[in-house]
Amino acid sequence: MATEKWGVAHIFSSFNNTLITITDLTGAETIAKISGGMVTKAAREESSPYTAMQMASQIADKIRDKGVTGIHIKVRAPGGNRQRSPGPGAQASIRAFARAGIKIGRIEDVTPIPHDGTKAKKGRRV
Amino acid sequence: MTEHIKIPLERIAVLVGPKGSTKELIEEKSTAMLNIDSQDGDVEIMDPKDPIKGMRAKEVIHAIARGFSPEKALKLFDDDLLIFETIDLSNIARTEKDLQRIKGRVIGKAGKTREIFENLTNSRISVYGKTICLIGYPEQNAVARAGIDMLLEGSTHGPVYNFLEKKKSELRLKMI
Repeated sequence: MATEKWGVAHIFSSFNNTLITITDLTGAETIAKISGGMVTKAAREESSPYTAMQMASQIADKIRDKGVTGIHIKVRAPGGNRQRSPGPGAQASIRAFARAGIKIGRIEDVTPIPHDGTKAKKGRRV
Repeated sequence: MTEHIKIPLERIAVLVGPKGSTKELIEEKSTAMLNIDSQDGDVEIMDPKDPIKGMRAKEVIHAIARGFSPEKALKLFDDDLLIFETIDLSNIARTEKDLQRIKGRVIGKAGKTREIFENLTNSRISVYGKTICLIGYPEQNAVARAGIDMLLEGSTHGPVYNFLEKKKSELRLKMI
């Protein structure tokens, strides 16, 4: 391929699900997206690293068809007053992208961190 | 591209290692440069050639900062499937004394509880400061986390051990 086309992979990874959205570099145009439920039927497997791997390889095929050869990655955990560290799916999907032959550019953590925001949910606060 | 991490001052010596050997090892495995400020505990990860390894390096340094020995933390480089997790205690413990008590319950007498957790779930556990950290495969970590949650909620140790024992045989079945 003569020209390289880059995109951005937004990976949202919580303990209950993983969402991958591929956009162009501006972030305004979505090229492809996939979520845990589109790959697996069992609700509790939506966030598992194996599901994330399958998701990443499926979406890698899609974006390759559309001519995207490399992606920058923005990882995001639920953040805010919920957990700050990405769930188990994040790493697995990044690795699966690399293995699917998509070039990986920069990896960035874009978890929203409150500068002291709203009150946490009642009960156990993790 | 550089990443910044702040680590406790007392863990800097561990991160650097004898004559800088640990630091060198991390640099070699992550293909990045480490810049450690021993005055204020700032660590910079600079220009990793492989961004995935750079991300891994961040986790390794976090793990060392949260009380893991370099040997255990460096396993994160060798096995892609290992996951590093933290449980934050600062919102669970109400007072300094409460924190002490909770940490004691997770560690056990001379580390007995922690040892049982490590043996039954095969994930490594570090209790340090206001956090409990786990390194292990995702399924193992999920079990260890559930067990620790039970302890944090006030369950006595016996039922937790039984729970781990039960989960252990389930995990083994899944492996096959």
